[in-house]
Amino acid sequence: MASKFSGVLQLTDLDDFITPSQECIKPVKVEKTAGEVGKIKIHNDGSYVQVAQTGEEVKLQKAKITLNDCLACSGCITSAEAVLITQQSQDELYRVLQQNTQAAQDGETSQEKLVVISISPQSRTSLAARYNLSSLETARKLTGFFKQLGAHYVFDTTFTRDFSLQESQREFVQRFQGNDASAPLPMLASACPGWICYAEKTHGEYVLPYISTTKSPQQVMGSLVKDHFSKQQGKPPDQIYHVTVMPCFDKKLEASREDFYSDVYRTRDVDCVITSGEVEAMLEKEGISLVDVTPADLDTMFSSTSGAELLSHSGGGSGGYLEHIFRYAARELFGQDVQSVNYKTLRNKDFKEVTLEVEGKVVLKFALAYGFRNIQNMVQKIKRGKSPYHFVEVMACPSGCLNGGGQVRIGDKEADKDLLTRAEELYSALPVRTPEENPLLESLYSEWLSGRDNEKARRMLHTSYHPVEKMTNALAIKW
Amino acid sequence: MSSPDRLQNANPQLYGRTSEREVTPEELNEDVEDAIDAREIFDLVRSINDPEHPLTLEELNVIEQSRITVDEDNNHVSVEFTPTIPHCSMATLIGLSIRVKLLRALPTRFKVDVHITPGTHQSEHAVNKQLADKERVAAALENQHLLEVVNQCLSTRN
Amino acid sequence: MCSRLEAVAVLEGHQDRAWTVAWNPTGTVLASSGGDKTIRLWGREGDSWVCKTVLEDSHTRTIRSVCWSPCGTYLASGSFDATTCIWDRKSGDYECSATLEGHENEVKCVAWSPSGQLIATCSRDKSVWIWEVSEDEDYECASVLSLHTQDVKHVTWHPHKEILASASYDDTIKLYREADDDWDCLATMEGHDSTVWGVCFDQSGERLASCSEDKTLKIWQEYLPGNEAGIQTQGSDPTWKCVCTLSGYHKRTVYDVKWCHQTGLIATAAGDDCIRVFQEDESSPDRRNQPQFSLTATAEQAHSQDVNCVAWNPKEPGLLASCSDDGVVKIWRYKEE
Repeated sequence: MASKFSGVLQLTDLDDFITPSQECIKPVKVEKTAGEVGKIKIHNDGSYVQVAQTGEEVKLQKAKITLNDCLACSGCITSAEAVLITQQSQDELYRVLQQNTQAAQDGETSQEKLVVISISPQSRTSLAARYNLSSLETARKLTGFFKQLGAHYVFDTTFTRDFSLQESQREFVQRFQGNDASAPLPMLASACPGWICYAEKTHGEYVLPYISTTKSPQQVMGSLVKDHFSKQQGKPPDQIYHVTVMPCFDKKLEASREDFYSDVYRTRDVDCVITSGEVEAMLEKEGISLVDVTPADLDTMFSSTSGAELLSHSGGGSGGYLEHIFRYAARELFGQDVQSVNYKTLRNKDFKEVTLEVEGKVVLKFALAYGFRNIQNMVQKIKRGKSPYHFVEVMACPSGCLNGGGQVRIGDKEADKDLLTRAEELYSALPVRTPEENPLLESLYSEWLSGRDNEKARRMLHTSYHPVEKMTNALAIKW
Repeated sequence: MSSPDRLQNANPQLYGRTSEREVTPEELNEDVEDAIDAREIFDLVRSINDPEHPLTLEELNVIEQSRITVDEDNNHVSVEFTPTIPHCSMATLIGLSIRVKLLRALPTRFKVDVHITPGTHQSEHAVNKQLADKERVAAALENQHLLEVVNQCLSTRN
Repeated sequence: MCSRLEAVAVLEGHQDRAWTVAWNPTGTVLASSGGDKTIRLWGREGDSWVCKTVLEDSHTRTIRSVCWSPCGTYLASGSFDATTCIWDRKSGDYECSATLEGHENEVKCVAWSPSGQLIATCSRDKSVWIWEVSEDEDYECASVLSLHTQDVKHVTWHPHKEILASASYDDTIKLYREADDDWDCLATMEGHDSTVWGVCFDQSGERLASCSEDKTLKIWQEYLPGNEAGIQTQGSDPTWKCVCTLSGYHKRTVYDVKWCHQTGLIATAAGDDCIRVFQEDESSPDRRNQPQFSLTATAEQAHSQDVNCVAWNPKEPGLLASCSDDGVVKIWRYKEE
């Protein structure tokens, strides 16, 4: 089985192509009733039965490993992959939709969940490239498709990226001005879950303080839907089923983090993540091409649109973190209005640098580091105290998010390259606006979060990272 | 001892121990060079402890004398071991312990092969391959955590 | 068999198993490394070979592999401690001037490219890394290739092109070259039945020899697109095909194979304590597509335990170094009789 995770997660201990039932070495707690004795027999079908002294056979339950067990374990990641397949898949979405239909038929409307789909602009673009549609047509057709299936709302995570970008900008300036040892420079972008998982598992306390605490657009959308929108709709968070459509498999790991789980409501901010490729599979399952789907009007509540047009951000297909922070910092810290951001390609096309000079002196030095090799060099430099940068936009995939592991693939190298090129063209053709120009943002800050920099804003828009301890249980060490 | 609810095979079948080997007068005679035989190899490995039970490999029938072959002339020793259950995740660790015991106890001229008894483990091929890889064995023994467990398996219990 | 290997020197000093031997480019210094976490440098003094230097205290675990830079000024060492050290001699003594970190676990092999600009390392973490040597002697990762599905045992460079070969516990050999800004696999060779421990190009770079736990030695031939033999190729990439398998010679795992670029002789190191030398039969009718090799010399019980590595001296034809689990390094002379 080829792993679908990004390259950084396919390394080594992190990825051993094992399935939980067979080789997972995570000790699992088994609830055992006291006083039970007897033999354990294995049947030919591989099931285990306990034979009591009376001769009665009881089928033993298979130990279940949740995704969180996997994430908290430094053992492997492919167990996580197998778990993901069952917990976060289009099948799970179909199951929920089916339950809704059933509840409606039974007249139990209170049992019906409100289904919200939030589509990332990278996924939309990938599907647009795949079906030769414009971005807007794709957005309208995807809205139509999901609503036909039974979804109630379809949003666009470009909208919550405004929060992520603005919070990142402010966080950077605070780090730059402050001397807080717990928030050092360079600040490293936090939107890529593959990178976060890798940092937590292999570089722990060395690197985590450098990572921006700002939540990714997916998780801000999670907060917005399960907190603000939930109240607006008068539905408790667990009665909303929130699905995101993402360009990468690693986003499933992100959605499954304990940090984004509510103990009170026993629900996640994002219940299920499906990839662009899985949407394509859904279309195939429905036996329809996206081209033939009847379009529907966009839900403008949480979407970035202007009139009939879709809006995006400047700075490339990975969110534009570098550019936005760069312009904002130049203005706030040095009173400079940056007209155009000039990228200097360094070692390879996935490693670029941007500098701001004031009176002949370099005052800001930012970099893009995409793909594992560039992440590696950056991390080593930071570890040795030799990094010359103030901010690095880190992404696990070469070429960034438009080339994410969950994007639509044809399977032929050349054809996939063309598809990526077309996606990049479509993406960069969209008109852009800054977060500051989003008219709804200010009102959400005041209505939803009661302002900035308060406890609620921090809880809704920021998160924290946790080093994963190296396994020392010798019975579990792989050698 | 680990808590019983973590055991993979909580109630293994137990087997009796073989009697101690009788020492022949020739063996006591320092002038006669002893040939190494299967029984001697068996004596070296029978008392190895199972990583998760307070029992020896002999008591669990993981090791049997009949599954040991010695070719003195070609300096070759082969040991087959039988995991208690076919999905036992301890199989590599048991094999490693047997290997280490023989590496430490036998003259270096011997080539030692440690295998799983054919048909008794679902990952038989993978385990055998790993045990035969001396580079991985050497690296494993440089891992303190792993070495500790191996040494525990090899320590004689009172 | 018509030739023999005559022991020239028996070099004792390693306190544990010796894993690798490597000649410097001028053939005057032999480096060896092993389980005792040291690198020993051996040189001639009069007629005998002596230990000139011991490099230690840089690695915390077994030093599995050593290799020289093509200029001979640097030495790279790969260790089970997951790091690779670069040693340089600028100040007279060898000093560890850089440490290459990034592998998750044991580094199994390190190889310096003929241009001196690139270093390849491989590890049990299944990856092959290519490092670029920058002008200020900084070493940066140029590529991470995770194409093997298991432990990567060995890496070696093409004699004059920037093509890398890797051998793995997954029983395959892979070739890589730079394309479009990153490195990419250009061929995978399947045929061995178990771990491939060693791989080595001949002088032309059109052939490879590989050795395996399956006790065989295989010879692979490169076929370019449009080749006369009619071997299928894909696009502009060549196909590598096994043209000869030498089995029945080695009684246990073959740990190393080296193809002498001066004499064309192939030497192997095996777990049956023997060193063997093979020579191609020049009289065979179809040398390109059906080459034949015969065993010309065997050093029985060359060492008292497994032989781990052999290395032909790059300047003195027929001079061969070897090392073993017995901790001994030996130098042999191949004598045709």
